[in-house]
Amino acid sequence: MKVLTFGWDFPPETTGGLGIACQGLTRELAQEGVEVVFVLPRSQQVRGNARFIFADVEKMVKTRTVDSGLVPYAGSQTRVDVYDATGRRVIYSRTILQEVHAFAHKAAQIAKEENFDIIHAHDWTSYLAGVAAKKASGKPLVLHVHATAFDQAASDQVDPEVFKIEKEAFAYADCIITVSDFTKRILVQKHEVPELKIDVVHNGCDTHDPVRYAPALSELKAQGKKIVLYHGRITIQKGVDYFIEAARKVVDIDKDVVFVISGQGDMMGQIMHKVGSLGLSSNVIFAGALWYEERDRMYQSVDLVVMPSVSEPFGLVPLEAIQHGTPSLISKQSGVSEVISHVLKVDFWDVEDMANKILAALRYPVLHEQLKREGRQEIHRLSWKHSAQKVLSLYQRLLQYMTA
Amino acid sequence: MLTVCPYFHVHQPYRVKRYRVFDIGNDNQYFNEGGENDLNNRRILEKVAEKSYRPMNAVLKQMLEEHEDFRFALSFSGTVLDQFEAYTPDVLEGFQKLVATGRVEILADTYHHSLSFFYSVPEFERQVAKHAKRIHELFGYTPRVFRNTELSYRNDLARWCEENGYLGIMAEGWDPILGWRSPNYVYKPVGCKRIKVLLKNYKLSDDIAFRFGNRGWESYPLHAETFAQWVHAHHGDGHTVNLFMDYETFGEHQWEDTGIFNFMRALPGMLKQHPDTSFKTPTETIESYDPVGEIDVQHVLTWADTDRDLTAWVGNDIQKDAIRSIYGMEKDVLATGQESIIETWRKLQTSDHFYYMCTKWSQDGDVHAYFSPYQSPYDAYVAFMNALSDLQLRVQHALEAKRTALNEAPAVVEVKTTFPELAKAWLAGGIEFVATFFNVHLPKLSKAYAYIFNKENR
Repeated sequence: MKVLTFGWDFPPETTGGLGIACQGLTRELAQEGVEVVFVLPRSQQVRGNARFIFADVEKMVKTRTVDSGLVPYAGSQTRVDVYDATGRRVIYSRTILQEVHAFAHKAAQIAKEENFDIIHAHDWTSYLAGVAAKKASGKPLVLHVHATAFDQAASDQVDPEVFKIEKEAFAYADCIITVSDFTKRILVQKHEVPELKIDVVHNGCDTHDPVRYAPALSELKAQGKKIVLYHGRITIQKGVDYFIEAARKVVDIDKDVVFVISGQGDMMGQIMHKVGSLGLSSNVIFAGALWYEERDRMYQSVDLVVMPSVSEPFGLVPLEAIQHGTPSLISKQSGVSEVISHVLKVDFWDVEDMANKILAALRYPVLHEQLKREGRQEIHRLSWKHSAQKVLSLYQRLLQYMTA
Repeated sequence: MLTVCPYFHVHQPYRVKRYRVFDIGNDNQYFNEGGENDLNNRRILEKVAEKSYRPMNAVLKQMLEEHEDFRFALSFSGTVLDQFEAYTPDVLEGFQKLVATGRVEILADTYHHSLSFFYSVPEFERQVAKHAKRIHELFGYTPRVFRNTELSYRNDLARWCEENGYLGIMAEGWDPILGWRSPNYVYKPVGCKRIKVLLKNYKLSDDIAFRFGNRGWESYPLHAETFAQWVHAHHGDGHTVNLFMDYETFGEHQWEDTGIFNFMRALPGMLKQHPDTSFKTPTETIESYDPVGEIDVQHVLTWADTDRDLTAWVGNDIQKDAIRSIYGMEKDVLATGQESIIETWRKLQTSDHFYYMCTKWSQDGDVHAYFSPYQSPYDAYVAFMNALSDLQLRVQHALEAKRTALNEAPAVVEVKTTFPELAKAWLAGGIEFVATFFNVHLPKLSKAYAYIFNKENR
């Protein structure tokens, strides 16, 4: 079986969960014997280095890039400028929307050149590419929803252009995969997609033992401080403002708790202002966006990780944290809370409960230990292999009546 | 001759509200949730009264009226009796009327539905005594057969029952304990001379308690006639069929629309279609039959889950931590001498609190989730431990206040009052001990006496 896949984000050139999910799924599909052609828009850099760690599957995976300025996690009107290696601007200030259409145009060409059985497009920027490829080839189309316009807006004030693309593409798809029941409900309620058209395939998790690094923030720990981490984009969707309000309540009870914020985003100024106005400057550290080794080191060094998202289709953070041996407190408004039990859960708006449970995790060592031990056990059930098998059986279901 | 021994257990805990860290030191009411949720004890009791206690009491009354040989046993936790009294006194009256027929036996139990026997026998004994007093007060009845929380049982508990004058004790008729033997006989606990053990026939009991309304079950829908035939099949192969279950089975676990009430109403008639079948209370069963063998249970046996052990309550680390923490306070709590603190501490011993913290995510885990008012076992633990932290503070303050009171007492030495103590010390430890006693204990004691003396004369 050969699958033409459209995505916008792939490690190591990654900015978040989407790329990690594409990688995990693609790798395991390849293991199952599926041939994957991965089409990526070319953004800041040519992604010639997009490779898989597993050399034996590398031969089956081919990456193609097209000239496009797509960047992840942007709205439809965000402007992008693309420079080549010499610093010459090759694409002038086009909107994401224009890029999405350009990507779709090229997708139709690729669909004519390649041989494949099925089309799989990840997230809204690739939906039109998927639709174009379907029109050009007549092959069945699977759309994979990692987030919707409603998650990014964290309200009903969605980007109308994105919503339009989502709604029309969903109607055109043969099957839709969402990463959680949480997201499935959004599609049913907001996009009016028939329930039967949607399959939920939860994301997986890499369960190998991570590299251990020398602890960070050891000076603070030596002073007996407890450390709580937020890691993610600083946007309305992620609920960082609720986290800061909870931090205030925590510090009222225990002044020896330090909150580390790793990430950046459009709400950064607002959050910094809030930290100042709540008098939390000596308890909050802005660490900038930490990635790779720095991020892992932070995961390993802190006492608790908090994911306070207002709307989170899945949410890899608690899984990454527990891989590094640190338990999490997560909002119930997240897809990942459907698949993990050994975490503390709160409603994102209930800052008092958030503070209560942060304090509980720091106060009761037996609780902390059990969340850590049981949590590590639990993620072994969440393999990418399992997710890939679900996707594969969906492919087979779509292809059962197709003749060569 | 085959007799059926029905026994229904009535219990509600005092659920701990979402007690938060911020409440520690500010709020000493842990059980007074007032919102529209499943932690509101009054709300739950009123709901269960409506769905189960009132209609089932009426069914039982009717069964007693229509079948003169029908009889059964009940057990009540003290915590449910207190809640009946406070919230639904008519339900309590209904039970009193049933018991007044003289055909309903009440079993001995711990007041607080606790696992105290396995953590502190002296505390267990206090709770059993408190329970007996309460039952006598409300029903004019003195229980003679013992059942422990969640039907938990062990050889030493049976021995305790024998030493304390009970006729018998209840336990789960679990295959690994019985081997090839049948639960439908009376047995003798190993190491006991006089008392007998009644074993629950879990297959037939659970057909009613767990499977009755399950549409996926091969025997669904179960008719009284069919069930009676299953019971009759034990003629010639047993003396007693012990049907033990939660009272809340009727109307709460199995809703009215499953037909459970009609099933029960019809059951005595169907059972008596075989001429040699009748009913006995636990005491009558024990007095009627000789034991056919010995039962040896070295590790705790309960009626819960597929494990039939204590792992539903103390299987994981947070459960063990919580239960250790509560029993670890015993000495200090009692030393305060304050009834409100002691009673609160006992309410926190109720086994349900630990059950809500269970993390067995198997089929059993689903059962736990169904019976838990919390959204997660961790929520249950956090609320419980926060409340416990507050109680610890209260205990600490009470003890400090006591100590201060002693120290404030004027240092008048009344040697006379300490002479018996002195004599005892002499006999026990000789001259060295007496010297120590004079230096260390005497000043304190005399201060205490002087304080009390002064207080009385104020």
